[in-house]
Amino acid sequence: MKTGLTILAMLLTTSAVAGELNLQRAQFNYQMSCQGCHAPDGSGANSVPRMLDHVGNFLVTQTGREYLVRVPGSAVSALDDAELAEVLNWIVVEFAGSSAKESFEPYSSQEVGRLRQQPLNEVVQYRAQLLADIASANMRE
Amino acid sequence: MKLLDGLFDKLFEQQTRQLAQRSSRRGILKGLGGLLVGAGAIPLLPVARAAAAEAPGQPVEEGDPASCDYWRYCAIDGFLCSCCGGSENTCPPGTEMSPVTWIGTCRNPADGRNYVISYNDCCGKSSCGACLCQRDEGDRPAYRPDKTNDINWCLGTSSATYHCSTAIVVGVAFEGK
Repeated sequence: MKTGLTILAMLLTTSAVAGELNLQRAQFNYQMSCQGCHAPDGSGANSVPRMLDHVGNFLVTQTGREYLVRVPGSAVSALDDAELAEVLNWIVVEFAGSSAKESFEPYSSQEVGRLRQQPLNEVVQYRAQLLADIASANMRE
Repeated sequence: MKLLDGLFDKLFEQQTRQLAQRSSRRGILKGLGGLLVGAGAIPLLPVARAAAAEAPGQPVEEGDPASCDYWRYCAIDGFLCSCCGGSENTCPPGTEMSPVTWIGTCRNPADGRNYVISYNDCCGKSSCGACLCQRDEGDRPAYRPDKTNDINWCLGTSSATYHCSTAIVVGVAFEGK
């Protein structure tokens, strides 16, 4: 929670760079585009990946950071680039929990707009490999 | 002065004795207790109701949840759990609520605001068959899978057998820019 607040404070102070973080708008867009499968608290369900206390792990590597934008749920969502960036930043603040990292550079709409041009197809395999790579990156630290 | 004091004493004693003879101690406690509880409850009632109405996600409502024209059902396609032994918020006994759901917004006529509605299906028993309701506002074709109600949303439950649908208020729609 403390890390969440730190990230939130950081997001609010860097809002000029990363775009505005409007908590109500972000939560509404999460509800409309993500919550149906990922659940209100980001805990997921069966084959729907869990984000709660986990999503922060992807931010350890650049590939992992890009993955969060390239997954179909993000890349092909009906949200525009600014809305998607805002929802992703909100997800990290809200759900990273114990997986949160000290430094998180918020997604900008430009970054999201560029990355979502390459949506992933084989997500399950890609994700498994990515998590293995992240685990070994963590081991090296 | 002493005479007056004595008179007061006597009068007070007489009144007290008369009161003691007319009433029991339990009776007084009962009356006092009733007064305390009553005084507490009367002003609380309207205050508590007003507080509940202002809480987020708890809109003031009108209409019949067992009727298809109930405001929360604007995008529904299925049997109403309110007619199947459950309610607009809960599954009938013996069924399991799907954690995976489709979500839309409906306008509440009571306050004119749009609310986020989660159409969680109840699963694990064969189709309820009562109160079929198909309003489909905002329904999208299957190429927009998160916004279509034509697929079976009994996902993430132990059984994929569809029974009925709920319509739960999960938030207030954001209407700014």
